[in-house]
Amino acid sequence: MRRLPVYLLLDTSGSMRGEPIEAVNTGIRVMVSALRQDPHALETVHVSIITFDSDAKVVVPLTALDELQVPVITTPQSGPTHLGLALETLGARIRREIKRSTAEEKGDWAPYLFVMSDGKPSDIQLFEEQCPLIRSIGFASVIGCVAGPKARKEDLQPLCDHVVSLDTMDSAGFTSFFKWVTATISGGNKSMGTTTTVALPPPPPEIQVVF
Amino acid sequence: MTVIKLKTQDGQLVEYTDEIIGQGGMKDVYFSPDRSYVVAFFRDQLDYQGKERLKSIVGMYREGIFEKEGGEYWKDLFCWPTAVVEKDGRLGVVAPVYAKHFFFSHGSVNNDMLGIKGKEKEGKWFASASNRSKFLAPQEKGSWLTHLRICLMISRAVRRLHAAGLAHSDLSYKNVLIDPSTGNACVIDIDGLVVPGKFPPDVVGTPDFIAPEVIATQHLEKSDPNRKLPSTLTDRHALAVLIYMYLFYRHPLRGGKVHDMDATKDEELAMGTKALFVEHPTDAANRVKADQISKAQLPWGDPSKMPYTIAGPLLAELFRKAFVDGLHEPQRRPTADEWENALVRTIDMIQPCSANCEMGWYVFDNSTKPKCPYCGAAYKGKLPVLNLYSSRHSGSYQPDNHRVMVWDGQSLFPWHVSRKVFPNEKLTPDQKKRVGYFQLHQGDWFLVNEGMPQMQDVASKKDIPIGGHVKLTDGSQFLLSHEDGGRLVQVQLVNG
Repeated sequence: MRRLPVYLLLDTSGSMRGEPIEAVNTGIRVMVSALRQDPHALETVHVSIITFDSDAKVVVPLTALDELQVPVITTPQSGPTHLGLALETLGARIRREIKRSTAEEKGDWAPYLFVMSDGKPSDIQLFEEQCPLIRSIGFASVIGCVAGPKARKEDLQPLCDHVVSLDTMDSAGFTSFFKWVTATISGGNKSMGTTTTVALPPPPPEIQVVF
Repeated sequence: MTVIKLKTQDGQLVEYTDEIIGQGGMKDVYFSPDRSYVVAFFRDQLDYQGKERLKSIVGMYREGIFEKEGGEYWKDLFCWPTAVVEKDGRLGVVAPVYAKHFFFSHGSVNNDMLGIKGKEKEGKWFASASNRSKFLAPQEKGSWLTHLRICLMISRAVRRLHAAGLAHSDLSYKNVLIDPSTGNACVIDIDGLVVPGKFPPDVVGTPDFIAPEVIATQHLEKSDPNRKLPSTLTDRHALAVLIYMYLFYRHPLRGGKVHDMDATKDEELAMGTKALFVEHPTDAANRVKADQISKAQLPWGDPSKMPYTIAGPLLAELFRKAFVDGLHEPQRRPTADEWENALVRTIDMIQPCSANCEMGWYVFDNSTKPKCPYCGAAYKGKLPVLNLYSSRHSGSYQPDNHRVMVWDGQSLFPWHVSRKVFPNEKLTPDQKKRVGYFQLHQGDWFLVNEGMPQMQDVASKKDIPIGGHVKLTDGSQFLLSHEDGGRLVQVQLVNG
């Protein structure tokens, strides 16, 4: 059976400390338990979580939903936003983890990538180098979420098919974002319209789809 | 919580609590304050035709099914919208709530580790071998007999829709609620009904259930004459897939064949132009590769272990018609009526597993040494098989291709006594009453007559009065009724 790989890239730079990171933790927990209650997702979805600050860390390697132990994500006191490095790490993980189709065996579904950040990438040169490489992997969809007052949608646009922005970094905002992520991932077994195939469910009112 | 009051288009008062309790593909759903009905609003604007369609569904089509003789019966099989409402330019429907047994009472294993207790029993939980073996609590799983009954209920509901000239257009495990613990099913999301030539479909269906010709022509414009859209013919495909999935817990077209290195294109071909039955009798190209499925999917996930033929000759023939002959020739797909008929007769051919395993019941395999296909336990004891014949001209009895297995608790009903009675919504209360039962006494099986005034032992020409009984021996024959269409029973005794 084909797996549906879902990669979450989460900003753990210093500015996420406090309420924002708590809200992210809650959001992930809500997302995982909601996906576990979806029999379709439970069979197919595999999740990986990579965090980035001055370093990029694979917190959860690609794991089946029912085996996933949801980690508590923490942030350092302060630190830059090395999103470029995170993308480099992601590329290496994907080469190892994703099963490609062969003539004899079906591979995985095209993966989803969700990137959440509250600021500009600090390693801008590496980020710009990585964007086209990541794009060439062939994701089903790359969705960015810029949170808080400092984040600008333009920062993630070179990477993403869609960027949503959260004005506030509280739990209501993140929860609605992760709910939306959940709906996007489990969209595979919903009815399909006769005119256009809608790839994304409508975002909840707290989220603004910018692109 | 705010309660909002509205008038329906036909002037009834409805109320709902202003909090979304669920979101479907196109609608937001709200409870009435007493939770006896729901109000579901469409998120998008409906066009003129969409509005007219809703009016017809709550109006003339509903009346056509529910306000006729036997109408009461359908209330359990359909969650049919009763009225149309409008608020702030958004259109919605009022519909009954789902019966309680369609919500998990136990949920998943390990003290409901997934937290699904109280949630809707979405069919996908039960249609997947791995979800069943890894997660579902044993109390939720039902037996193979209740799954047959679920398939019967779905077939009956679809037969009724089609008889009214309506196509559901989006049959899927999301849109048919099932309850394996009681063997019930209910068709929901009726508001997308298609009336050929009048109301066109606005969905193409749900992946896994969309007919190959619809997928294959999806790239064409809706107005293109070659574009295939949902109809009663595509419903027939979806119905066959549902039945296959609820009996074998796997998909009939998802096999090992790789059509394209790109997953999306591969999916499109495997479900569309190149669709091929995994158990095609002569073309083995799409066989499931046993080494590519997980342990949790066994044995059901491997058709070589649990082939579709375990469902017995009547259903096997229909699966061939649906997935071999009719897969790319819609006209050849079996009708809902054919499924209903075959399921009713198959349920008579079922026998309990001697080891009382998880499957619990299986169809008599026509052999002298029947054994459970799931756990392998051989049948123990004497197994009488009643072959039913009926009179076409007086004195001549022809086989009805209908057999009844005798097990403890098996009963005879009026539809066994006469070829002219068929168990469906049209049965009168009298016709639902048992007319005979079977009992094992000191190693022999007996048939006790409870309601067949004309029952007769053919060899001795002796009447068997109501309250009397007769021993079932190999070759014995009984006449159940002298009337036209009355049945004659020929007994075969299998010794397990």
